[in-house]
Formats: sequence, structure tokens, C-alpha cells
Amino acid sequence: MTSRPRLATEVNYVNGIAALALFAVLAYVFVTAGLEPPRGIGEGSVVASIGFAMFDMLELVPDTHGNTEGFLVAFLTIAVVLDAALDGAVMLARREDEASPETATDGGRPVNADADTDAAPADAENASGVDTGSEGGDA
Amino acid sequence: MAIVTEYYLLISAALFCIGLYGILTRENALLFLMSVELMLNAANINLVAFSFYWGNLNGQVFSLFTMALAAAEVAIGIGIILVLYRNFEGIDVTEAATMRW
Repeated sequence: MTSRPRLATEVNYVNGIAALALFAVLAYVFVTAGLEPPRGIGEGSVVASIGFAMFDMLELVPDTHGNTEGFLVAFLTIAVVLDAALDGAVMLARREDEASPETATDGGRPVNADADTDAAPADAENASGVDTGSEGGDA
Repeated sequence: MAIVTEYYLLISAALFCIGLYGILTRENALLFLMSVELMLNAANINLVAFSFYWGNLNGQVFSLFTMALAAAEVAIGIGIILVLYRNFEGIDVTEAATMRW
């Protein structure tokens, strides 16, 4: 029995109606907002200007790119946040009982469960002396 | 002739509502994360659209930071899902109804 995705027929329609109603309200507000035509980005490399703005080198940003501001503090803050997220992810993924590096990709299964089930058939084959030509064990 | 800003706002609102519908409907924690990503990306579209509207690059730079924040959020979210899977043998969010077990 595979678990392919199936069309959900027993659903609560209230959620869908709520999301649609929110979209209708938002669309009404946006269409009736009366926004002017966009000014657009002027000549010059946008990617280079983004890089300059990210490191507060605003004198290198051409005037055609408007009054772009510096984002060095935001850049450093995000760097710290990403570092904290990495530490948090490692902390959450680590087992409370003693963890070994090779079990980091097993999807969180118990350490001893698959070791026992894999070892048993291999031993049985060796004991009976039948060579089936397959390893059977360490898959 | 540039595309008017309202179209960007409409597609952003559609993306946000799809994400909201996913959060209201789904029970799988991974699909929750995907729905949150949809909503964050709707905000990114708004930032870039208004950056174009005002003719400066503030919104584009800020959308990069939002993407980095989304990556941090996913890293923590997947760690939480891993813990959820270990403790409840599944990632159904309705199973974990209490803060301790």
C-alpha cells in the first residue's frame, strides 16, 4: 500500500471560505487604493547596488537607484540569528541519550532497533550454511 | 510600460491566502512549515514590488534578510519536527496537544 497523495474529499469548507474572503477583502483594498505608476529602478547594476547597500557603502550606489539606505546592522543581526538557528537546530536534533555521528541521518529511529533486526537474518543464514547470494543484512 | 503595482499586490495576497488556507487545513507539521514559507514569500513579493514602486532598493535588500530569516525559521522548525517525531512517532500537530508529555 503506497501513500500517494489523494484528493481530500472530507474537508471543512469554512477554512477555504475564510481564506477566500480574506483574499476578496485584500483584492478590493489593493484595486481601489489608487496607487501611482511605479517609478522603477534606474540605470546601473541592481545587484551591485544591493551589495553596496548591504555593507553601508552608500557612496558607491548610483543616484539612479534612489535614496537606498544602509543595512549593515540588519546584516549583522541576521548573521547572529542564523548562527543561533544553527545551534538551536543541532541542539534539537541531538539525542538526549549518547549520540553517535553516524546515526544523524537515520530519521530519528531508535539506535538499537534496526541493529537487532538486521543482525538476526544474517546470523541465521550463516548458521544454516545456505548461500543465497545476497547480503541480507547491512542495507 | 511597467507592470502596475496592484498586480504584484494581488499575486502576493493570493499567495498569502493559500498559505493561510494550508495552515488552517493541514495537520502535517511539514506542510505547516511549507504554508508559513508561502506566507513569508508573499511578504517578499510585497517588499520587492514596493521597492520598484518607490524607485529605490531598500525593499529588495530587506527581502534578502527576510529570506535568511525564513531559513533560520525552517532550521528550528525542522528540529522541532524531529523532536515531535521522536516523541509521538508521527508529525501530526494535533497529537501534540500539551507542552509536556
